[in-house]
Amino acid sequence: MRNDMTLGQYYPGNSFLHKADPRVKIVSLVLFLVLTMLANNLASLGIVLAATLLLAFVSHIPAKVLVRSLKPLVFLLLFTGVINLFFTEGETPLFSLGFLHIYPEGVRSTVFILLRLVCLVGGSSLLLSYTTSPLELADAIESLLSPLKKLHVPVHDFAMMMTIALRFIPTLTEETDKIVSAQKARGADLESGGLIKKLKAMIPILLPLLISSFRHAMELADAMECRCYRGGEGRTKLKVLRTRASDYLFLALMAALCAVVIAANRFGGFTLWNVAL
Amino acid sequence: MNFIEAENLTFRYHGSDEPVLNGLHLTIEKGSYTAILGHNGSGKSTLARLLCGLLTPDEGTVRVAGIDTSDEERFYDLREKCAMIFQNPDNQLVAGIVEEDVAFAPENLGLPREEIRRRVDEALSVVGMTDYALHATAKLSGGQKQRVAIAGVLAMRPDCIIFDEATSMLDPTGRKEIMAAIKRLNETYGITVLTITHYMNEAVEADRVVVLNHGQIYMDGTPKEIFSRVDELKEVSLSAPQVTELLHLLNKDGFSFPKGLLHTDEAADALQAEWNARGCKPLTDLTHERAPYTPNPPVLELKDVSFVYGEGTPYRKVALDHVNVAFPKGEIIGVIGHTGSGKSTMASLLNGLLKPSEGTVLLDGKDIHADPKKLRTVRSRVGLVFQYPEYQLFEETTAADIAFGPKNMGLSAEDIDARVKKAAAFCGIHDSAMTRSPFDLSGGQKRRAAIAGILAMEPEVLVLDEPAAGLDPMGREEIFSGLVEYRNARGATLLLISHSMEEVARYADRILVLKDGKVFLYGTVEEVFGRADDLSAASLDLPQITKLFLELKKRGMTDASDVYTVPYAKRRTEKLYDEK
Repeated sequence: MRNDMTLGQYYPGNSFLHKADPRVKIVSLVLFLVLTMLANNLASLGIVLAATLLLAFVSHIPAKVLVRSLKPLVFLLLFTGVINLFFTEGETPLFSLGFLHIYPEGVRSTVFILLRLVCLVGGSSLLLSYTTSPLELADAIESLLSPLKKLHVPVHDFAMMMTIALRFIPTLTEETDKIVSAQKARGADLESGGLIKKLKAMIPILLPLLISSFRHAMELADAMECRCYRGGEGRTKLKVLRTRASDYLFLALMAALCAVVIAANRFGGFTLWNVAL
Repeated sequence: MNFIEAENLTFRYHGSDEPVLNGLHLTIEKGSYTAILGHNGSGKSTLARLLCGLLTPDEGTVRVAGIDTSDEERFYDLREKCAMIFQNPDNQLVAGIVEEDVAFAPENLGLPREEIRRRVDEALSVVGMTDYALHATAKLSGGQKQRVAIAGVLAMRPDCIIFDEATSMLDPTGRKEIMAAIKRLNETYGITVLTITHYMNEAVEADRVVVLNHGQIYMDGTPKEIFSRVDELKEVSLSAPQVTELLHLLNKDGFSFPKGLLHTDEAADALQAEWNARGCKPLTDLTHERAPYTPNPPVLELKDVSFVYGEGTPYRKVALDHVNVAFPKGEIIGVIGHTGSGKSTMASLLNGLLKPSEGTVLLDGKDIHADPKKLRTVRSRVGLVFQYPEYQLFEETTAADIAFGPKNMGLSAEDIDARVKKAAAFCGIHDSAMTRSPFDLSGGQKRRAAIAGILAMEPEVLVLDEPAAGLDPMGREEIFSGLVEYRNARGATLLLISHSMEEVARYADRILVLKDGKVFLYGTVEEVFGRADDLSAASLDLPQITKLFLELKKRGMTDASDVYTVPYAKRRTEKLYDEK
């Protein structure tokens, strides 16, 4: 069932990460992603990985759930892993299998890319999607972008649109499943044929989905109006974003992490089989 | 004091000459509980939208708490005083987390944070959802979602809430939850309630019932008064509660029971009083109405079938657990069970959309998964109509949409044409509708067009999941009579999946009751209703008339309770009084 797909879904909780200011989390995430790409030796990448594991630990999210979020990525990981392993060329192969040669450089780049991907996915899930409710996320983006309001950019409207889009993802996923089943029951062939035929076969799925999205939109608009929605003007919030002492501490820790990673980049490398690690 | 005053209301939808409402007068008292009834197209939803100011009248005025709904200056004052709950729970929730959704309205009102917190907590406790405050809205059941929607408007502290068919998309459990919440809001919190509904047993709960017809008020009174006028209700294709109808029919045959008895207990009292007065003996040794018969050989069989969702994950759920059932050819089989009993999973297993985790599905004795290439043939032989099938319409014209199935079967143009015409005839779709876009049809017609799309594949077995959900009594009747006609003409087997025992009892030859993924009961209608006590113990929603006979059995007047339709009940009651 597609419903169980958790990639990018909020996991309610009460941890330090859940309570942190989402704006701080967004800024931290940007830093974290940059660090993951910057880390260029085993020591610095190890530090980033350790930081990811630490985040996982403090998030209080069960390991099972986290591992499951990596599942949809297994294919991507394997694919990039294999490509890097076999197609990175070096000088002396470690060993050869017929026409395939595995070089130490290939092993290096495979290990690095896999670690980076795990850190990227893990970091963004832990810092944002798992620990930040979509509504908080929208609030944080609204707040971070609020300087643009002066330039008449409709920041509130964008944030509201995002909230609603996020809210309707599970509804529309469920609906897609239903429509696919229903058209299959009418003998629709969604699997065979070339690209054009497959695209054509999508019409009986996409059209009802589009129409039902419109229906959702119209009804939701009525319901929102009935609850006195009139745009961002004069609106208050149940959850006001506040940056607390702990958030500043978190930012300070992120800055420290940056310093350590950069230092490790410079001084932590060593060489094995002529490959810089 | 009048809370709502509507005078001389007239309203036309854009581009239509026929007024939906035509010079209607209505006043609603503060703190009252009113049910508005009427068939589809009688104007009741339009009335609701006019009363809460989502629409403004073409002629006439609506005043809510003294505010004219046409007064744009006071638009949001009105919103705060008179709230509305809609049909589809999914389309009312704005946020992904329960408490954040409930906070939406007070946030819009610009209230201070502490006040929002207070109102959210209060509203959630009124609807009994406090424990779910931090849950994701997407994971709630339909009834729970609708309760969150109610909390969402309660947070505005409205004086009046209008429920526009708020229970029609819910299962019986969800419906009970909402009905209980409505009663509490009205009785404990003094909120003025208006419910628009198709369900007579919901209308019975109100203090006042208003029946609309052709955009005007057709009847107006207490439930007792309205439902005692059984024949007038029939004229506008509505019905009275089953016990009321039974007493009404008996009165026509010379009895003189009091009019307008709506509840099982009061009807049982009246029947018992008459029984005592006549000095009758208990009715024993009953024979079934239908002669015993040997069922036809099975067309479709489940052999030891299990189905497990999410095998190997922490979310593992057994939907069907070693089920053995055979469906005899040419019969109508009702499939009953709670949400989560495995009904819908079974439907998808029957035409091979799902593959059993264990066991086999046999069509004419052959495993349908034996040859994966033939699965599409299986799907044309076992037609499956999902809930709300109109959501799968997509073609430019109704005719083209009905032709989608036969086209996928690779038939010739003439064959397709002939099948489309036949299917449309079974479903009562007029020629004029065939060339129109299916999206221009009315709700009931759309549903019939969608069902015709499956019938056009001329399946030998037809599986229908709640085919009449959300339709008014007349719409339901039209759907079922078309299906029965198809069965009779083609000798097809019909599986009707439903929450409603009452609906199934009217049409089915045999009934399969599923409970927690297992077969709870399976037999002819008489056999299954003969065990009404067990059904009641499994908290299945029995027809009111069956409940009445269970009560009579308890009182020692009869020893059988296998009564499931009003005409049957009438014959049984007459027999009861013959027993001297």
